[in-house]
Amino acid sequence: MTDEHGGLVAAGAHLVWRRRSVLWWVFIVNIALGVLGTLPAARQLHHTVRHTLAGEQLVKGFDLGMFYELLRLPEVNLFRFTVSSYLFASFFAIFMLFVSGGILEAYRQDRRLNTGDFFAASGGFFWRFVRLALMSLILFALLGDAYLGVEKASDYFGDKAVPDQVGFVIWIVGLIILGLLTLLVRLWFDIAKVRAVARNERSMLPNVVKAFDISRGQLGTLLWMYLRISLVAWITLLVAFLIWTKLPPTAIWATFILLELVMLVQLGARLWQMASATVWYQRQAEAVPTEIELPTPKLEEVTEAEPQLSLYPETELPAADD
Amino acid sequence: MRLEVLKTPAQRVGLACVALALVCSASLVAQSPFAPKVMGPLSQRVVAYQIDASYDPVQHAVDATETLTYRNLTGQPLSRFPFHLYLNAFQPKSTWMREAHRDGRFRLSRFETWEPKYYGSNEVTSFEVVGIGDLTKQMKFISPDDGNPDDKTVFEVQLPRPVAPGQDVQFKIKFRAKFPEVVARTGYKRTFLLAGQWFPKVGVWWHGAWNCHQFHALTEFFADFGTYDVRITLPKNYVLGATGIQTSDSDNGNGTKTVAFHAEDVHDFAWTADPNFRVIESEFDGSVGPVKIRLLSYTGHKSSWQRYVDALKATMQRFDQWYGPYPYAQITVVDPPHGGEEAGGMEYPTFITAGTDWFAFKGDHETELVTEHEFGHQYWYGMVATNEFENGWLDEGINSYTEAKVLDNMYGRNASNLNLLGAQMGDASVLRSYYLPVAETDSLARPSYTDMSLRSYGGVTYGKAASMLLTLETVIGAQTLRNALHVYFMKYRFTHPTQEDFLRTVNEVAGQNLNWYWQQAVYGTQVFDYAVLRADSTPTNWHEKDVKEKPGETMYETQVILQRKGDFIFPVEAEIKFDNGESARERWDGKDRWVRYVYRKKAQIRSVEIDPDHRILLDRNYLNNSYTTEPQRAAIHKIAAYWMFLTQMLGHILSWLV
Repeated sequence: MTDEHGGLVAAGAHLVWRRRSVLWWVFIVNIALGVLGTLPAARQLHHTVRHTLAGEQLVKGFDLGMFYELLRLPEVNLFRFTVSSYLFASFFAIFMLFVSGGILEAYRQDRRLNTGDFFAASGGFFWRFVRLALMSLILFALLGDAYLGVEKASDYFGDKAVPDQVGFVIWIVGLIILGLLTLLVRLWFDIAKVRAVARNERSMLPNVVKAFDISRGQLGTLLWMYLRISLVAWITLLVAFLIWTKLPPTAIWATFILLELVMLVQLGARLWQMASATVWYQRQAEAVPTEIELPTPKLEEVTEAEPQLSLYPETELPAADD
Repeated sequence: MRLEVLKTPAQRVGLACVALALVCSASLVAQSPFAPKVMGPLSQRVVAYQIDASYDPVQHAVDATETLTYRNLTGQPLSRFPFHLYLNAFQPKSTWMREAHRDGRFRLSRFETWEPKYYGSNEVTSFEVVGIGDLTKQMKFISPDDGNPDDKTVFEVQLPRPVAPGQDVQFKIKFRAKFPEVVARTGYKRTFLLAGQWFPKVGVWWHGAWNCHQFHALTEFFADFGTYDVRITLPKNYVLGATGIQTSDSDNGNGTKTVAFHAEDVHDFAWTADPNFRVIESEFDGSVGPVKIRLLSYTGHKSSWQRYVDALKATMQRFDQWYGPYPYAQITVVDPPHGGEEAGGMEYPTFITAGTDWFAFKGDHETELVTEHEFGHQYWYGMVATNEFENGWLDEGINSYTEAKVLDNMYGRNASNLNLLGAQMGDASVLRSYYLPVAETDSLARPSYTDMSLRSYGGVTYGKAASMLLTLETVIGAQTLRNALHVYFMKYRFTHPTQEDFLRTVNEVAGQNLNWYWQQAVYGTQVFDYAVLRADSTPTNWHEKDVKEKPGETMYETQVILQRKGDFIFPVEAEIKFDNGESARERWDGKDRWVRYVYRKKAQIRSVEIDPDHRILLDRNYLNNSYTTEPQRAAIHKIAAYWMFLTQMLGHILSWLV
């Protein structure tokens, strides 16, 4: 890893930190939608256990028997409230899709956008990103299908083998490979998003092809960049889990804070990936001195103070020498 | 021994030779099948099976010759003999397969579609009655339970002349057993074989009639006690385990070996073989002498070996102490290979199958639970040999109850099933969770094989029966019930008691007539649900103007109303707590639809709780069992925090994808 590329992750992190108001807002919306998704279940719980001692068994150690009772009883039936969770989780996904344009524009310009500019950028790119999302979902669906294949292979070969772990090893290897492929698809479409914002691209299919074209020479570098950020998120999750196992069962507020910190890190990691992709795109654009004429982006009015890095043409860079 | 069936001198001489050979072979048996301080016979030995079997691991089939000597102790002449051919259940049109398909799945296997790997069969190629001749052509398949003409799990033979009371009759049966890929407690997986229910087995003469049910998906088995001498020939690299004790192991010089086993006072014989088995041996020092523990497991399960042995010893110790001695010389534990889980969790006399995973977590007591449960069956099924077709709860239910008692004693009541990552579950709660969804379907007394579904059978036979006995402890006390089980075991071991025998024994030991309880819990399907309907305090001077309440000075009248919401009548206890620290316990006979308790004191009610010790497992709804005047928000906050986190995380994952 060269210093330049090694700095991508750090530069991405700095960018997220400089534009941290984005993270706070995303986190607040995530919390708000989480609360809304939880409210129906919480109301039912309130109605059911507010005046009973049954809940004690959930507080002083989590008694799964009592929890089962809550899930099972027709008059409680917490399962039906999962619909609300799905709904508000979907709202969050749509929200993130909507604000991605604004976030990437803020990262591209590396300055605080006012609300109008932010939402103008968000709105301006929303439908383009919807098209990108649909394209990426096709690939994710194919990867999902491949996962079913891995499961079948794991069952088949595991079933034939005498050692217990063969099936598990096949499954975990398959899972890692598919995980990396999933990450690759994500970063590819992230580059496409960054490029669309930088060049105000309107046609998404050629944009996706071009994004692949400019990033394929450095796929390893980019994948490693995304992987490291993902690992930070996973390791944080693991550490939080270990802390959680040490917390007394009655430490409800501490648990809540820990869970929300985990959530903050997860969201931060996602923005970190987006910021790093932006930095990478800008650097690779800077590395090519030849200028070409490009159509003026509509958003130029709100981004006139920024260095016009995006006006450099994209050329495939030589692969990193690490 | 009178041998009226064997009339000719040649036949008598022949049988005498066989008897002499048996005596000689018995004398050659260096080791007794019993623990040192136990002398047989322990049962009325109705049957004596001698089986010479040859296993073909490529075909997963056994070719065998069975000599069955049946002693007519029925007190009446018998000319009709029914036999089980259990492996024929694994055919598409069998009753077993119909039921498994009807209910969607059996244990871990799904039977939505037929797969050739499920195929199994018992084919009798020759059926001869000594002194009478070849009756192969007289064999007739019958379906006493459902009339299914395609079910071939029971056949009968009509003898030309009856076997007089007290007489012996000898059947010589040649058969081929083809095993399915492991399903329903029997079959192969790769090189592993669990041979259960693999040989033609005579029915049981019980209460004046033959009791020989078809093989049902819901239920298990029933057979007479006797002796077994089984010789198994198979490739010599195989490691074997079986019911009873191994008496010989001889190399045949052709790449095969023949291993012989001997068992007495048992009612079934199962065996297992796999070249990949590892043998772990230990010993339990019981009240009647040492018992050899032989665990057959795999290298991949090494982390569970000690867990198996420890769990087994801890269980044997408690059973020995609480219910009675284990009289056999050996207990064999089979740990099936991965993919062969269908062979796990099964009991045969002196031979049990358990189950674990290479990654089994310590706080997950599943490995210990299965070991405990299957060993428990050595008592409730193995020795107290109830009819599993008809009274499944007498073995599974009582055994589930003792499972909860043993595991609670080992790991604590609230974590006896699971104690992992802050989540806990007591075994009694797990058993109750089986019962809750099917509380109104089948009674325990209903013939088990006619239960509504596999789910209902499981929920009622295991869950309701165990919950019913745990709830009974609140009436007669845990120690009295333990004593009752001890008496029941000692009185009925090596016999075939009925549910009435069990209920009568508990009545006698408890010194009270509990029929009011049995009528509801065993013979009925009444719903058990008691609830707190009202709990509040009001100042006694409420009628005065400008009443000012002062803690510790104002006199309050507290009203508590308990309600019986279901039809099940049961005495319940309620604890009422006041804000000055006082508390009161009330015992209500539960007969009326509701009861009111009124208290006048200088304190307000804080809470009321029915069954404050949480001993009534039959109550269908725990959430209405208590009422607190102050809101209890902690549990709501806790679940809501997790729920919210999961919702947030789901949103994050979805957003990552788009």
